Amino acid sequence: MKMIQRYPSNSRYLVDLGWLRSGLSFSFGEYFDPENTAFGVMRVCNDDQVAGGKGFGPHPHSDMEIVTVVLRGQVKHEDNLGNVAITAEGQVQRMSAGSGIIHAEYNASETEELHFLQLWFMPLERGGKPSFETCSYDCTRMVNQLLPVASSTGGEQIASINQDMTVYLCRLEAGKELVFTQEAGRRVFLFVIEGKLQVNEHLLRTRDTARIQAENLLQLATDPGEYAYFMLIDLP
Amino acid sequence: MKETLLIKHAVGGRTFLDSHKQACEYRVEETKTGWKVQVKKTFDANIAEILKWKDELNLFLFQEEPGKPILKIWFYVHSGPVTYDHEAGELTVVADSRIAYIPDSFGSSV
Repeated sequence: MKMIQRYPSNSRYLVDLGWLRSGLSFSFGEYFDPENTAFGVMRVCNDDQVAGGKGFGPHPHSDMEIVTVVLRGQVKHEDNLGNVAITAEGQVQRMSAGSGIIHAEYNASETEELHFLQLWFMPLERGGKPSFETCSYDCTRMVNQLLPVASSTGGEQIASINQDMTVYLCRLEAGKELVFTQEAGRRVFLFVIEGKLQVNEHLLRTRDTARIQAENLLQLATDPGEYAYFMLIDLP
Repeated sequence: MKETLLIKHAVGGRTFLDSHKQACEYRVEETKTGWKVQVKKTFDANIAEILKWKDELNLFLFQEEPGKPILKIWFYVHSGPVTYDHEAGELTVVADSRIAYIPDSFGSSV
């Protein structure tokens, strides 16, 4: 059965801790809905805004592929493997937690707000060797085309992730259209970062998401005078 | 030394067991292949959740001594087993490895 489930931005669970404002697409922290813990191998999509000088202190992860897409500002990562890195807009961070990693992540700026999407996926295999990388991509290459920024094969300007999936970013200019072919048995998670995106018969606005299965062809379009900046994830 | 045993869901951090809040007897024993943690506790919804999410547990020991920064020991539970013995009223979690760290001086794991 063809299915596009649209999740308006205001249906997300919102967290406001003062220093952290977060929109949660899946169960996380104080929000627990047993019917909303995963979409295929995807477990977390947190839309986080972190105040200057603030962040998440040292904590462990295991058996999870964690991709952080920085939208504005800079995130500083530090882990027990000795990695210290700052990731900014135009870059993604990939952490394969494997058999265990302790890390901390902070807003690298004392004054500017940090805004990122943090995505967690179950790995192909549990118990792997933990690793971390940051990857830069050319923002001009995402205009009117799907730019892979993380995938199972990795590559130049593409972070390598231990799962059969691809994270794409795209800036679709006004009046443009793209077609994405959804292979049988695959899922697509869409997140509109900014703008208005028509997905087949559904309109997604800023911060809306969609979970899509068995659609075969996805027509992704913008109306004249509108544009869309979005993330598309193709996953099992 | 004050010690707290915590068992949490690794995805999102829900706390299933906190020995500081729910007094319970427990022991942690090193084995040939890792660590075995046994907790005496009546079966309840939290034990059920631990068993349900047995592949996604964060198990910690927090150790605090006066005048010293807190030491956190995190245990990696790969394939367990994670079991509950109803007759004995005892939860057993077998962990493969552990990482100890001092949050106040992060970067210098111990």
